[in-house]
This record gives sequence, structure tokens and C-alpha cells, in this order.
Amino acid sequence: MMLSGTERRRQLITAGVGTVLTLVMGAVLFVGFRIATQMRASITALQTASSLQNYPDDITQQLTSLRDRLEARAYSGQALEDLQGTVRRFDRQLKELNATGNVRSAELTRALQLWHEYGPVIEPVVSFNAQPYVDSDTSGSSFSREGRAHYAEVKRAQLFATDNAKVLQAQLLTLATSLQHDASDAAARLRALLSIGVLAALVLAAAAAWFQFTRSRHERAAREAQEQTRDILKTVREGFFLLDADYRIGSVWSEALTRMFGRDDFAGLSFEELLKDLVPAATLATATKYIKLLWGERAHENLMKSINPLGQLEISMDNGHGGKETRYLQFDFHRVMGPAGIKHVLCSVGDITSSVLLARELQESQDNANAQVDMMLAMMHIDPLQLVSFLDGAETGLKLVNTILKEPARTDAEFRKKLSGLFRELHSIKGEASALSLSSIAARVHALEDIVTELKKKAELSGNDFLPMVLKLDELLAHLRSVREMAGRLTALKESAAGAATTAFTAPAPSAAAAPPPAPAAAQQSGTRAPQYARRAEDLTPTLHALAERLAQDHGKRFRLKLAGLGDVPAPYVATVKDCLIQMLRNAAVHGIEAPEVRRALTKQDVGVVSVAFQRSAEGFDLVFEDDGAGIAPDSLKAAAVRQQLVTEEEAAAMDTRTAMALIFRPGFSTQDEVSMDAGRGVGMDVVARSVYALGGKIGVSTHPGKYTRFKISLPAGQASSTAVA
Amino acid sequence: MNARRPMKLMIVDDSNIMRRRIERSQQFEDLQLVGTAGNGVEAIELFKRTDPDVVTMDLTMPRMDGIECISHLVALKPEVRILVVSALADKATAVEAMEKGANGFLNKPFTDRQLNEAIAELMR
Repeated sequence: MMLSGTERRRQLITAGVGTVLTLVMGAVLFVGFRIATQMRASITALQTASSLQNYPDDITQQLTSLRDRLEARAYSGQALEDLQGTVRRFDRQLKELNATGNVRSAELTRALQLWHEYGPVIEPVVSFNAQPYVDSDTSGSSFSREGRAHYAEVKRAQLFATDNAKVLQAQLLTLATSLQHDASDAAARLRALLSIGVLAALVLAAAAAWFQFTRSRHERAAREAQEQTRDILKTVREGFFLLDADYRIGSVWSEALTRMFGRDDFAGLSFEELLKDLVPAATLATATKYIKLLWGERAHENLMKSINPLGQLEISMDNGHGGKETRYLQFDFHRVMGPAGIKHVLCSVGDITSSVLLARELQESQDNANAQVDMMLAMMHIDPLQLVSFLDGAETGLKLVNTILKEPARTDAEFRKKLSGLFRELHSIKGEASALSLSSIAARVHALEDIVTELKKKAELSGNDFLPMVLKLDELLAHLRSVREMAGRLTALKESAAGAATTAFTAPAPSAAAAPPPAPAAAQQSGTRAPQYARRAEDLTPTLHALAERLAQDHGKRFRLKLAGLGDVPAPYVATVKDCLIQMLRNAAVHGIEAPEVRRALTKQDVGVVSVAFQRSAEGFDLVFEDDGAGIAPDSLKAAAVRQQLVTEEEAAAMDTRTAMALIFRPGFSTQDEVSMDAGRGVGMDVVARSVYALGGKIGVSTHPGKYTRFKISLPAGQASSTAVA
Repeated sequence: MNARRPMKLMIVDDSNIMRRRIERSQQFEDLQLVGTAGNGVEAIELFKRTDPDVVTMDLTMPRMDGIECISHLVALKPEVRILVVSALADKATAVEAMEKGANGFLNKPFTDRQLNEAIAELMR
């Protein structure tokens, strides 16, 4: 815009100067023509004046010759004729000179006056046409009467001419001189004028040269500017382009666009076409509306900026190797104003993929750090014995997972069996981790479970499908090691603190100190890694309370956990009882206990009750687990089983209540469609039932919809009696 | 704009607290509250009766949402100035509201200063 203004001004100046110079040249030529014409007239007049100078003398001589002739009575006709011619020519030329009007001088006036005075004297002479002589035999030729008068007139004229010829001649000479002056003045003027003309022509030529020079300089500057613009557009990392009123891209754009969009046909491309294949339809529709709003001037630029829907646009494009790549682009829009409103919209596009990913990484590492701190805090609240027992158990479980992974399998059925085994192991580790609030471990196991769930959905399975699990498993084992290390340090810290306070070694934690001494049979895995903590029968109470609290929080439930007799659980049963209770507590929190507002509506107490009682019985031990929640409706169990294709609709319809209730002990059964950390995987009660059966026990369930659910697990006394130290 | 006649303000929001918050926070002498409405249907009725010049509009409301309500109000009085006050941070919704005829957008939660700046911008 700046350039074109300068250009226009320059053109105006060129045109102005050119016009002025042309006018000057025209004036010079016109005046020169006038002067030349004048000069020509002056020169003619000068010639005339010069030739007139001889006439006075000629007239005098011819009068004298005429007089001589007359006195000699000789033939005077010829002399008179000569005189007549001379007088007529002189008279004519003098009058012509006067008539041209070019000559206006006192000399001419005076010459005319004098010639006028000649008139009365010479006129009778030249108008004579009679016979001057009469011939007689006696006296020869003598004057006739007219001849005598003629002679007298000639004599008078001759005398007059003799007296005045010099004066007239002098007047004519002066006239000629004056005319000559005029002519040379005109010549000088003409020369001066021509000089001006030449000068003007030189100036014109110089001006033309100057303008040509500045023009080429401007052109060079414009070319350089263009080149710079091109260089900028080629080098800049942002994509730049202008959108016109039809939302089409202009003819100039920065090359970064090519890299960003993988194309180079931007000129005339509509904004919609640019994004069409890269973003979802809804985003495209919003973007198009936004561009339209930009062209309306209703909303000011800041507001438009604040509602820019393309500030972080996720696009998915071919990566050139046959795959897809997700990139993040940031679009910025600026209105370009012209005299008649918005002229263009300048659009700048930046590739912010790396900063978006960096922000994500930061968030992740922050989350990790937070998780570590949470883990530390959680670990500080866990009885070290319990922690070590969990770590041992988890490690054993994961080793088992590893074994399962390595098991040779060929058929689809074998692979599926593998998956089921993996799932059960992982699920039980996750349950324990959640119970101890070791969320970082629980989350990792959950991720492994996710892989298994995905694999289960696959139509065809192969060994390669299990590879990602191996990686995750290694990572989880490393994590467990670091947790164990952290636990060791924490314990050392606690010990030194306790040691400093009491100067007497008892046990790392009060609950552990209160626990009975280790039973060799109960130590399933002796702590080779942490020999100072051999496994002992643990106190389940804190674990269950912690789990209950977490579950209530996660699921927005409120309930009280009543525990009785858990201290009496024989050591060989501790692990099973713990697993069962964890699973049942989770089920109660997710499915059983209703949300407080639901309970209120049902005129139940806001706070639910979950009670656990372990007691001796006639045959051995009974574990009774009861919640005052929604109970289990056989019909919803049937519906869920049909939905999960565990039974057909016909089978479900044929089931009685007891058979329907038994569905909850089927592998893979769940009433929860959405998977959470605590339920919905479809593994749970079947694990409980299996472990109970493994101990030679029984499990039964009784329920009343809307009132309660009660599980009763009976365990034989035999297994425990040989080893029990309760 | 007519400087003599005070401009009329209508507040549309389904939250009573938010209505009072806007009413109390706005600090314009030449802006006179003519009524508040709790949903789109009420807003249209009130609009017809009171003919406001400036409207603050919530988006998520029962019976008729803000976006639809904006269309109705603009059809009734094209020169009405509407400030969308919404907790929906979604840019697509903002664009949609602007397209339907809103003149400004303010995200909840907002400070008194942000509200007054947004209204001042609207009354300009």
C-alpha cells in the first residue's frame, strides 16, 4: 500500500514536469516562429529600404538629363519615360513599405513627408504628354508653348530634387539602418529563444533520465521488497495466508503451510476445503461459522479471539508411511481493515504439537510425582508387615502371570484360557493394592487388565498379542521393587525414630507387635528379600476400614463397616478370608449400598451398614458378610447374564431363584456394564467361591431385594486346626 | 445511542444466585433492570412486555436453552444486545451463540470487573 502511494505520486510528478516542459517547448517554438516571420518581414523591408536609397539620386540625374535634353532641344521622350518609370517605382515601393505595417519609424514618416513634398513639383513633369517642340524651317526646333512650360517645370523640379535628394536619401539610409537594427535584434531574440529551447530540451532529457533512474530504483526496491516477502514466506515457521470475502485463500502464502497440510494448492482453496479431511465434521462446522463471524463486524477482535475454536486444533493426517499422525495446530485470525471495512482476514497457523505434547508430559510427570507422594503417604499408614506381605503376594502373583504368559499355547481356546487365568491373578492383585490404597500399583495393574479385556474382544488371538503385556509386566515389577525399596527406607526411618524414643527394639509397628509370633506354615513365602519380616497372620481390620473408606468416597456411598471376630481367623485362612472380604466389600459398595438420596427416598437410614462376623461353628468357622443395601433381584441377574451371553434367554427364563442367584459365582459374570477399578470386570465372586471351595468350604447367599444381601462362607475346622495359631 | 434514556437490562439465568449476582455487580447508572427470567420461555414473555435493550443470557436452562432463546429475542428486536454468561467453556457453543446473534461472551465464574467490562463493551 505504501509502495503504490509513492508510485502514484511519482507518476503524477513525472506527468506534471513533462507537461510543463512540453508547454515551454511549445511556447519557445511559437514565439520563435513569430520572431522568424517578423525577421523575414524586416529583411524584406530592409532590402526595399536599401534599394530605395538610390532613387533620389536617380530622379535628380534623370531630371538633369531631361533638362539638358530640353535645353538642347533634343529628343526628350526617352528621358521623360525613364523619369516616369523611376518615379512610379519609387512611389510604389515607398508606399508598399509603409503599407506592410512592419516598419513604424520616424525615418519612414519623414521620408514619406519629403516625398509628399516632391509630389507637387514632380507630378506636372511626369504627367507631361504634349509635344515640347515645334519645328520651323527658319529657326529649327523651338519650344512649343507647352514645351516652354514643361521646361520651366523640369527646371524647377530639377532644382528641387537637387536640393532635397540628399535629405531624402539620408532619411532612407537611416530607415535602412533602423530596419537592420530591428532585424539583428530579432535575430538576437531568436538566438536567445533557441538557447532557451535547447536548454528546455536538455532539462526535459535530464528529467526523463532522472525519472527513468528513479523508476528503475523504485522497481528495484519493489523487486527487492517482493523478494524479501518471498524469503520471509519461505522461511517463517508459521503458516500465513489471507482469506477473502468468499473465505478463499489468496495467492500468497507461507511455505510452512505446505509442511503443515501436506499440499501446495492453496491459492483459491476455501477454508472449508483446507480442513475438510483433517477434522471431524462438527469442528469443521464450528470453524466455518467462526470465519463467517469474523467477516461480520459485530464482534470486536478481542472477543473473537477469546472464542476462537481453532486455538488448539487436533488434526489427523497421513505421516507418509501409510499411517496416521496426530498433530496440533493453532490458528490465529486478524482482520485486515481497508477503507470500506474488512478487506481480508489474515490467518496464521502454528504447529504446536511439541508444546502440547510437552505440556502433556509435564502433566503426566506431575501426576507421577503426585502419585509417588500419595504412595509414600499411603505407605506410611500401612502396617509394614502388611505391606511386605502384599509385596510378596503381588510379586508371587506376577510371577504366576509371567508363567501363564510363557505357557505354550496354539489354539484359540488355549489362548482364551490363558487370558482368563491372567485376568484372575491380576484382578486379585489389584484388589489388594486398592485395599492398601497403593493407587500407583492398582492403576498399573488396571492397565494390564485393560489389555487383557481388549484381547478378549479380539476374534483371533496369537502369541504376538501378548507382547505388550510383557513390557507392562516388567514395568510393574520394577515399580514393585522401587516400592519395596521405599518401604525398606521408611521402616528404617520408623525404626530409628522408635529406637531413639524407647531405646529398645520391639517391632516396626504397634499392630505388628501385637500380632502373634510367626507361624512357619503361614509364611507362604519366607521373606528372602526382607528377612526381618517373616510373614505373620495379619490384622485385617485396618485394611478393610481403609478399603471401605476409599470405596465409599469413590462411589459416593455412605456406610459403616462393623467387624467382629476377625482376630480369630486362623492363619491358613487369613489370605482367603482377606481376598473374599475385599471382593465382597467391593461388591457391597458398588452394587449393594444405595446412594444416600436413594436410601432416604426408601426411608432407610442415610448411612448403610456392612457387617462382617467371623465365628466358630459346629463344623469349623463361619464368615458372615451382610449389607443392608439394595439386595439382588434374580431377574436383573438373569438379564445381565443374557446380556453377557453367559446363558441364553430360554435358559434364563427357565431358571429358578436359586439357580439365578448362583449366576454370581459364574466366571466372567458382572451386572456392571461400565468397568471401574472396583467392579464390572466380571471377576470377583467366582474367585471367592473357587478359593472357598479350594479350602473345602461352602458359600451361600441370601438376599431380599431392597433390604439386604448376606453371604455365608463356611470353612472346615480341619485345615486350620493343624496349623492355626489364632 | 440515546444518552438521555436509561437502557433497560434483562437478566436470564436459571440460577437465582447468579441472577442476583449479576444484578448486584453491574455498576451502570444508565442501565435499569426491568426483569429477570429463569428460562428461555419466561425470558421471551418478559422480553415482549418490557422491551429491554441489554440482555445477559445463560445457556443451559430448563424448558428452552439460551441458544434458542437468543434466536427468538433477535427475531423480536434485531438491535438488542445480548451478553452470553455461561459456564460452558466450549468454544463451539460460544461460536454458535454469536452466530445466532449474541454480542458478547463471558465465562462463569467471572469477577465483577469482567462483568462490567463485558456490559460496557455491549452498551458501546
